[in-house]
Amino acid sequence: MARRRIGYLAGDLRLSDRLTAREQLDSLVRLRGAAAPLRDTLCERLGVELDRPIRELSRGNRQKIGIVQAFMHRPDLAVLDEPTSGLDPLLQAEVRTLFRETAADGRTVFLSSHSLDEVQHTADRVGIIRSGRLIDVDRVETLRERAIRHVSIVFADHVDPAQFAALDGVRVERVENASVRLSAAEAAMDALVKAAARHRVVDLVSEPADLEEIFLELYREADDAD
Amino acid sequence: MAAYVLLIAAIFPSIESSKELDDLMKSYPEPLKELFGIGSGSITSGPGYLDAELFSFMLPLFVLVLAIGSGARAFAGEEDAGRLELVLSYPVRRSHTVLAKGVAIAAEVVILCAVILVALALLDPVFGLDLAAGKTTSALVGLAVLGILHGWLALAVGTAVPSRALALGIPAALAAAAYLVGGLHELAGWLDPVRVVSSFWWIGSSPLQNGARGWGVLVVAVAALAVLAAATTLVDRRDLKVP
Repeated sequence: MARRRIGYLAGDLRLSDRLTAREQLDSLVRLRGAAAPLRDTLCERLGVELDRPIRELSRGNRQKIGIVQAFMHRPDLAVLDEPTSGLDPLLQAEVRTLFRETAADGRTVFLSSHSLDEVQHTADRVGIIRSGRLIDVDRVETLRERAIRHVSIVFADHVDPAQFAALDGVRVERVENASVRLSAAEAAMDALVKAAARHRVVDLVSEPADLEEIFLELYREADDAD
Repeated sequence: MAAYVLLIAAIFPSIESSKELDDLMKSYPEPLKELFGIGSGSITSGPGYLDAELFSFMLPLFVLVLAIGSGARAFAGEEDAGRLELVLSYPVRRSHTVLAKGVAIAAEVVILCAVILVALALLDPVFGLDLAAGKTTSALVGLAVLGILHGWLALAVGTAVPSRALALGIPAALAAAAYLVGGLHELAGWLDPVRVVSSFWWIGSSPLQNGARGWGVLVVAVAALAVLAAATTLVDRRDLKVP
């Protein structure tokens, strides 16, 4: 059965409130009917409160139990819905480390998250789902490269920003004295740099957009297509 | 419950000596006596008294409340609380989960009935109830089967529809109807043809005096197993409601 090789953590985790974490995990190990070699190390690593009834635990402490049960049997695939919600920043980092280790071990983690920052820092590949349809799948880096980048140019003298705005795929975001901040599609970069080169350039920084902007951009495109 | 049984049994010696009560009861029409569990015997005998006070209403009510409550909690209640999602993400078949829950419900009912049986056996010599061991055992087997049928019904309704209210309500309504049909069919002749759908009728009335009807217990047990079997297939036919 495929579920033997899967670890699952629901977005809205519900446990047996009257049990302690130890009893809950014991019961889940029995239900799985297989060894849970990682259980104790995970409990220790995340600092699970083992001997208090679950109903007395905070959201974060319950979430830890959910993470332990999803990983304790060394699953080939972990399917996790918002796994770090309710956890403090230190634990979030620890849990992300756990994901990276799992991936490095040749196993797979499916992570669903609304925190795009988390996705950007954790995931190798990203799928974007909109109204139940998968609208894009790509490596995080590729997505970022494909997307617009933010270009800041500092010129020696004041420059008329209209000449950049006239370029295809370039938008002027801000002009401040002699520095100009633009956003440009990958295809427009060549023309942009050449236009800039007609002036004395003091500094030029180009940064890829973060995942959040890509996400919003994809949603806008999909909206337009509808 | 054991305390209630004790209380009822403790009152018995004062009933036993009451000749007037016996005469009053004898004047009741036969079907009415049937309904109140007095049967053909006498309310001043131990079995007759306990049939009327415990087995005609309170004990079945108590066992059914417990069984239906457990049955509804086991699946519909767990789904409602969002706890089934985790369990069913584990490598277990849904049908096995339902079977395991069915066994747990049955075990609960059987333990309860065994406790009542032991309580009656212990109280018998103390209050001079004069119970027949075979009939008492058969009465509690009948009661247990009745409880299991309705507990499994509650479980089955929960596997078919994601509603705790229905899982409680349907078996409770069926039990109430079966109780009334079983008790009143002799009084109301038009109910007579439908008495075969009443689980209470199959088990029979006044079980301490008559023993539960052997064939009837078997019929109810088979019905219970059919309900459980239905539950194991129904559970695969729908999506789980998740929080």
